[in-house]
Amino acid sequence: MSNEEQKFSDEFINAFVDDQLTPEEKAQVYARLSGNEALSRQICELRKTRDLVQLAYKEPPMPTRDLATLSTGRKFGLGVAAGFMLAIGGITGWFLHQPSANQVASVAQQAPGEDVPAKVLFHVSDGHADHLKNVLDDVEELMQHYRLSHQKARVEVITNGEGLSLLLAGISPYAERIQKMQKEYHDLTFVACQNTIDRYQQELGFTAKLLPGVVVIDSGVAQIMRRQHQGWAYIQG
Amino acid sequence: MKKLIALSVMALLSLGLSAGAAYAEDYGKQKVVYHVNVDDEKQLKATLGNIQNHINAVGKENIDLRVVMHGPGVQLLQIANKNPDFQDKVSNLKRQGVHFNVCNNTLVGKKIDYKTDLYDVSKEDIVPSGVAELAALQSKGFSYVKP
Repeated sequence: MSNEEQKFSDEFINAFVDDQLTPEEKAQVYARLSGNEALSRQICELRKTRDLVQLAYKEPPMPTRDLATLSTGRKFGLGVAAGFMLAIGGITGWFLHQPSANQVASVAQQAPGEDVPAKVLFHVSDGHADHLKNVLDDVEELMQHYRLSHQKARVEVITNGEGLSLLLAGISPYAERIQKMQKEYHDLTFVACQNTIDRYQQELGFTAKLLPGVVVIDSGVAQIMRRQHQGWAYIQG
Repeated sequence: MKKLIALSVMALLSLGLSAGAAYAEDYGKQKVVYHVNVDDEKQLKATLGNIQNHINAVGKENIDLRVVMHGPGVQLLQIANKNPDFQDKVSNLKRQGVHFNVCNNTLVGKKIDYKTDLYDVSKEDIVPSGVAELAALQSKGFSYVKP
């Protein structure tokens, strides 16, 4: 990846859309994104296509052949091929250490049990303090329930819009509680939306500082879609 | 003229009815869980209305519908315990096969006695954790609705 100095290559952008980049590489894209409408649009289009492909492959896919026949344009074909090559190359699991989409798709067919973890996402888009308290109560209750019933589980709290305030240093009314929960439950992840962070910066000139251990993803809404396609349960907090 | 209006109204109505029937076929079988965790009476009443409309659209024989209440949402059956309008609505939905499930953690936490404080709840209606129930049902193919 040496040619992203002036302009990112299609492969690089596709890898970004497919979550195949390292956090440093992603940061480069994010840095460029804010002032670059054309790039934003390109990524948005690619995401749409990618989501459609994922939607079409809720069943465990037979990737190479089917994906190839799906490609409708040179760019798209290249992109999928590039993303796929990268996936084969073992560059899976960005910072969430998630199993590959194929594994997840087949796991999603089974109901959670001793060995199959329950996967639950909480969506938080409301920033009122008592609302946020209820969400944390629910999350904690769920983690407790899984612990007591010896059920493996992965839980993500995905914040966007006003909900981001839950995870902002100096603003969140529950910073300490969140830190405690992170220590107590290793399968619990708090997630912030980069789009919201960018919007705060652009519209309010406010630089978001996140609580320690919070994971940033490109878009909260896109992450929610991805997770649901991967068989995660959705709960609106 | 009056006759004409009446005729066209009837024509429109029958159009609407046949369209309704066609939709019901299109929806097929559904498994749905409604998530209730608010205690606002107006909102709860609207939720009961949503559920009835949902059943009407799909047909009661085509739907497995669960209402999972936890936290403040348990208020729905506390209100029903005193309010005949809520009582009617809940009973009516139950007759159409709707399950009303209550979170045991909430009962314990709020010291609620389901036999005396809630409307028509039996032991089988109680689930260990409302939130875990929402997740478990979704992994069994239930769609999630937050009214």
